[in-house]
Amino acid sequence: MGVLEEESSIVFDIIPDRLAWYVGGPILGLLIVGLFVIANQPLGASGAYVQTAALLRRQNQIVVWRVWYFVGMFVGGILVTQVLREGAEIRSGYDALRNVFPLWATIPMVFGGATLLGYGAAVAGGCTSGHGMCGTAQRSPASMAVTATFMATAILTTLALRIVTGGDL
Amino acid sequence: MRLNIIGLLFGIAFGGVLAASNLHEYDTIHAMLRLDEFDVFWFMASAIAVSAPLLWLLEQRGMRTPFGGELSLSRSRPEKHHLQGGALFGVGWAIAGTCPAPALVMVSSGALLGLVAIPGIFLGLWLRERQQHGAISVGDGEHRETITADRPVGTGPTS
Repeated sequence: MGVLEEESSIVFDIIPDRLAWYVGGPILGLLIVGLFVIANQPLGASGAYVQTAALLRRQNQIVVWRVWYFVGMFVGGILVTQVLREGAEIRSGYDALRNVFPLWATIPMVFGGATLLGYGAAVAGGCTSGHGMCGTAQRSPASMAVTATFMATAILTTLALRIVTGGDL
Repeated sequence: MRLNIIGLLFGIAFGGVLAASNLHEYDTIHAMLRLDEFDVFWFMASAIAVSAPLLWLLEQRGMRTPFGGELSLSRSRPEKHHLQGGALFGVGWAIAGTCPAPALVMVSSGALLGLVAIPGIFLGLWLRERQQHGAISVGDGEHRETITADRPVGTGPTS
């Protein structure tokens, strides 16, 4: 038993409650370089959604590895949150939002916001990963424009929500 | 086939880094956009600070990639749709407090409202696709054809 306890404490040290940005950010940077080096492709997440949707709808011309990539992101999340960390429990999430709004209001907000960001990502041709990080890392002026725009509207929207809720959100 | 395994591994690594950094939590993104906490900005900036010079160097050397030919970075000019899409994305991002990759990790972490966010993202992408009569390109440079050694584009989900 003593050995087991020691092992688990080592694991807890490897994945702390929150990885510092100066560790996580550079690792992600190396992953971005890695996928370019191997496959000459950006590590974009919305593209994985598009390919997964195409697979589910049994369309032709599917980039299959992006579907595997979609599955991988989910598996990676399970690995860290459920296996390497103390098992996360089933919960609603969105604590700060739920402190301000009841659940019946939270659900349409999350759904509506997600629909808007999905549509916006499709119009812009990428999301936080595709444009925000991979595009900017490629020094793409279009990606930098997209990133500056979404950062600005996101901060302004958050400010607006804060004002509307009287500073609660 | 090998590219599928690579895709899976990169997905696991990406999802794992996002989870370890708590980027799947609404509260993390919300604190960032409230400008209460700058960790996520630094996270993104340090990822770019590491990858941009390396990519530049490899591009200069005309590196050949095993699965995608010569390394070619894409640098498109900003067009109107970039600004329009970016603006809408930002509003949605602030309301939903998540974006495509962290939404998946949100579900893996046991947060059930992630199951509301993911269908929303799919719906948004589909609405645009319908508007464009089925044509869609996502991600900077993802309009490039993905040609693989074992599976040329257009052969369907056989591998």
